[in-house]
Amino acid sequence: MFTWMRVLTSRVRGWFSTDRTDREFQKELDEHLEMLTAEGIRRGLPPEEARRAARVRLGGMTQLRETNRDLQGLPFLDTLFQDVRYGLRTMRKSTGFTTVAVLTLALGIGANTAIFSVIHAVLLNPLPYDHPERIVLIWESNPAAGFNQFAVSPPNYADWHRQSTSFEQMASAARGTFNFTGSGEPEQLNGARVAAPFFSVFGVPPALGRTFVAEDDVTGKAHVVVLGHGLWMRRFGGDRNIVGKALTLDGQTYTVIGVMPERFQVPGRVELWLPSEFTPRDLGPGARGAHYLRVLGRLKPGVSIEQSQAEMTGISKGLEVQYPQMQKGWSSLVVSLNEATVGNVRATLLVLFGAVGFLLLIACANVANLLLARAATRQREIAIRTSLGAGRWRIARQLLTESVLLSGMGSALGLLLAEWGVRALQTLPPSNLPRAAEIHVDLTVMGFTAVLAIATGILFGLAPALQDLRSAPAETLKEGGRTASTGRHGVRSFLVVLETTLALVLLIGSGLLLKSFLRLQGVDPGYQAKNLLTANVSLPGSKYATDPQQAQFFDELLSRLQHLPAMQAVGAASSNPLAGQGYNFVFATKELAAVAPTEQPSAGYYGVSPDYFRTLGIPLLNGRTFTPQDTAGGPRVLIISQAVAKQFFRERNPLGQLISIGNTSPEKGQIWREIVGVVGDVKDEGLDAGGSLALYEPYTQMPWSSMTLFVRSGDEPSQLASALRSEVLALDKDQPVAAIATGDELRANAVAQPQLRTLLLAIFAAVALVLAGFGVYGVMSNTVAQRTHEIGVRMALGAQQGSMLRLVVGNGLRLAMIGVVLGTAGGLLLTRLMKGFLFQVTPTDPETFVAVAIFLLLVAFLASYIPARRAMRVDPVVALRYE
Amino acid sequence: MGEGRAEILQGTLDLMVLKTLAAMGPLHGYGIARRIEQISEEALLINQGTIYASLVRLLQRGWVSSEWGASENNRKAKFYAITRTGRKQLRTEAENWARISGVVGRVLRITEKG
Repeated sequence: MFTWMRVLTSRVRGWFSTDRTDREFQKELDEHLEMLTAEGIRRGLPPEEARRAARVRLGGMTQLRETNRDLQGLPFLDTLFQDVRYGLRTMRKSTGFTTVAVLTLALGIGANTAIFSVIHAVLLNPLPYDHPERIVLIWESNPAAGFNQFAVSPPNYADWHRQSTSFEQMASAARGTFNFTGSGEPEQLNGARVAAPFFSVFGVPPALGRTFVAEDDVTGKAHVVVLGHGLWMRRFGGDRNIVGKALTLDGQTYTVIGVMPERFQVPGRVELWLPSEFTPRDLGPGARGAHYLRVLGRLKPGVSIEQSQAEMTGISKGLEVQYPQMQKGWSSLVVSLNEATVGNVRATLLVLFGAVGFLLLIACANVANLLLARAATRQREIAIRTSLGAGRWRIARQLLTESVLLSGMGSALGLLLAEWGVRALQTLPPSNLPRAAEIHVDLTVMGFTAVLAIATGILFGLAPALQDLRSAPAETLKEGGRTASTGRHGVRSFLVVLETTLALVLLIGSGLLLKSFLRLQGVDPGYQAKNLLTANVSLPGSKYATDPQQAQFFDELLSRLQHLPAMQAVGAASSNPLAGQGYNFVFATKELAAVAPTEQPSAGYYGVSPDYFRTLGIPLLNGRTFTPQDTAGGPRVLIISQAVAKQFFRERNPLGQLISIGNTSPEKGQIWREIVGVVGDVKDEGLDAGGSLALYEPYTQMPWSSMTLFVRSGDEPSQLASALRSEVLALDKDQPVAAIATGDELRANAVAQPQLRTLLLAIFAAVALVLAGFGVYGVMSNTVAQRTHEIGVRMALGAQQGSMLRLVVGNGLRLAMIGVVLGTAGGLLLTRLMKGFLFQVTPTDPETFVAVAIFLLLVAFLASYIPARRAMRVDPVVALRYE
Repeated sequence: MGEGRAEILQGTLDLMVLKTLAAMGPLHGYGIARRIEQISEEALLINQGTIYASLVRLLQRGWVSSEWGASENNRKAKFYAITRTGRKQLRTEAENWARISGVVGRVLRITEKG
C-alpha cells in the first residue's frame, strides 16, 4: 500500500506551506461560521445570538486550527525544531557548562570512533580478495619440537598438491630479494618466487597483462615477472605499455608479463613475483628437510577449514610413514588467511574497544552529573513551565533533545579527534598494525558515531529527565530552589561511584601493561643497540656464483668500511638478530651424533666476521673470538652462545669440543667444528622469548651471498648511511644496499606492538582518571554550594573548621572507596583477558592493584579537598543572610 | 483505553463523511456536517469543526478531492468530492463496518442472555 507515502508527501508539502494552509483553513472556518449563523437567523434567532450559537456548534477556533496544523504538517519536526532552538539558546546562556560537556563527550566519542574505525577496517572488513574466507595458509607443524607454523619443504608441497582434494587451488611462495639494476640507482626489491596458481588463490586478476600459467613455471624456460602496483608506479612511472618490456634482476633479463592492481597488497611488502621454477633437485628426496616455502590454498566452495585440516592431517600421516627419517613428528596446520593476518591484533583491539567503552560510560556519567547539577538551577524554570500546562513528557522530551544536542556537538568534535587519531596511527611502521592503510573514518564509522551520539545523549539525559518527571512543581516553587532534593543526591553519588569504578578498572589494566612493558624494556637483549647502523647487502648469484667470490666481496667491503668517519667497529653476519630474522639449523655434538635427524636439537646460526661480537657489544665469556687467520682453508672453528654451553656441555669446558651443523646423516659425512669461544646470549627471537641457543661460524669458512653489515659509530649512526652506500657502489656500481636501519629503530620496532597498546590504554586510563576526578569534584563542590546554609549554621553553633573539612572530604572519599572496592573486583574479573599481553606480570599483580587504588584515592581526596576548603571559609553571617 | 475509543470514533466519522459525499455529490464542510446531523436525527452531537480533521485525513489518503467554488448564497467555499479510490475504500470500509457491528451486536446479545 502506498497510502502512507501519499499521506507523508502531503504532510511534507503542507509543512513547507504551513502559513498558506493555515490562512486557507481560517477562511474555510469563517465561511462555515457564516453559514451556521445564517442558519440560526433563518430559525429566528437574533443575529448576535445566532453568531454565538454558531461558534459553539463549530467548536473552539484556535484548537481546530491547531489540530489542522498538526494534521497537515509535521508536528514532530515542529516540536523538534522548537526544542533545538530553545536548547541552543540555553547552551549559549551557559557556555561554561556547554564547553565542559561537549569536550568531555568529544573525548569519549572520539576515542570510540577511532578504535571502531580500526576494528572496522582490520577485523570487520573482509580482506580485499575474492571470497577471502576461502583462502588459507597451510603450514608444517611439529608441536613437540615447538614448531607450530613452520615453512614447508618443496617435496612436501608437491605431495600435498598432488594428494589433496579440498582445495580449488594450491600454490607455494618463497620470499626473496632481487637486485634491480638498469635505470637509476640499483635497488634491492622484495619479491617472491611463486607457483603458477598463486594469483588464482587470491582471485585477483592483473591490472595489465597476465599472470603466470603452468608453462611459465618450467625451469629455465622464460624469464618472466609480474610487477606490483607500487613498484610499477615508483620505478616505471606507471607506464601502461610496460608489458613485454625487459628489466634486469640480479644481472639477468626478465620480461614483464603483467602488473597487479593497487588493491593487491600482500604482507611483507612483496612487489614482484617470479615463477617458482623448482629444479628436480629442489623436489628431490634430499630437499624434504628444506623448509622455506609458504603454502597458500583456496578451499573449494562448501569445504570448511576443519574438513581440509582433516584431509591434510591424513596426508601428513602418510608422508610420515613414507619418509620416517625426515617426517617423523611432522604434521600440517591449516589457518585462514584472515586469522593469519589479523589474529594477533584481535585481542589487543577488543581490549582497547572495551577500554574506550568504559571511557564513554565515564564521560556519560560525568555529563549526567553536570546536567543534574544544572537541573537544580533549572528546577524553577521547569516548574513554571509545568504549571503553565506543559506536559511531563513534553518537558522530558525537551530535556532529552538538549542532551542529544550536546552529544551531537560532542560527536562532531569527536569525529575530528578520531580522524586525527587515525592519521597518527597510520604513521606507525606497518609491522605494528596489519591493514593500517585501510583505516578510514568512512560512512560506516560515521554511522557508528551517529548512533553513539544519540545513544549517549539519551543515556546521560535520562537521569535528569526522569528526575524532573518525578519532582512535583508545587514543592519546587515552594522550596524556592534553595535546598537540594535528596533523591537527586543519591543519583549523583551513584554516578560518582560508577565513574571511579570504571576508572579504576582502566587504571588497573593500563598499570599492568605499563609494568609489563617496563619489564620488557628492562630485558637485556645481549647487544648494544645504541649508535649502531645495520644494512643488508645481497649479492646476486649470477655475478657472485662461488663461495670465494662472495667472501672476497665482503672482505673488501669490510676493510673499506674501516675508513668510515666516526666509525668505531664494523662487522657482518648472515642475518640480523635485531630484526628477529635468522636461520635455525639442527646440530649435533659427538654424543648426539647417532640421534635420528628429527630428534636433533636446533639453534640459531650466524656466519660472522671477526669483529661482529665487538661491533654488537656481545661479550666474550670464554676462549677467543674469530680472527682473520680463520680462513676458508684453515681448521673449522665455531663459537657458541652461553645457553648452548650450559645446555649441552653443562659442567664440562666446551672449548675444544666438536659440533656438526646441518643434517648429519652418517653417509653424507659430517664436518666437525671445534668450539673456540663462548659468547653472551642474544635475544634474537624477541625480548619475551626464552632460549638463546646460537652457533657462530666464520663467514669465510661458509660464505653467504646475503649479509647484514653492522657499523658502530661514535656519533649519530644514521649519518653513516650514505657513506656506507657509496662504499658499496664503489665496489660494485650495480650492488644495492637495503634495509638500512639504526639499532634503536630496530629495537623500537621489536617492542612496537606492546608499546602501542600500553600507550593507548594509558592515555584512555589517564583521561578516565581526569574525568572521574572532575566527577568527584563536581559533586562535592555542588554539595558544598547547596549546604552553605547548613554549614553556616553549624559553624555559627561552634563547629570547628577541621570537622567541616572532615565532613566534606570524608563524603567524597567514602564514594571513592566504594568505587575502589567495586573497581578492584571488576579488575580481578577483567584483567584475565589481558593475560596474553603481560610479560613477567600476573593479571592479579597485587602491587599494581594497590598502587592504582592509592593513586585514585589520592585524586579523589584532592577533588574533594578543594571544595571542602571553600566550605571552611564560609562566613556564618553571610551564609545565614541567604535565608 | 480512552485513546482506543477516540480511534474508533475517528474512523467512524471518516466513514460517515465518505458515505455522505458518495450519496450527495460535492459538498462544503457545513453541508457535510449538516447532512450527518440530519441523518443521525440529531442523535450525534458533534462539534461541526471536527469534520475538518476527518476531511484532511481523507484528502491526504486521496479518497476525496477539494476545490474552491461558489456556495448557495454565492460566497467562496471549499467543496469536497469523493474520488474513485474513495468509492472503493468506502465499499471495503462499509463491509468491514457491517461485519464488525454484526459481530459486536451478536456478542452483546449473548452476554445479555447471561
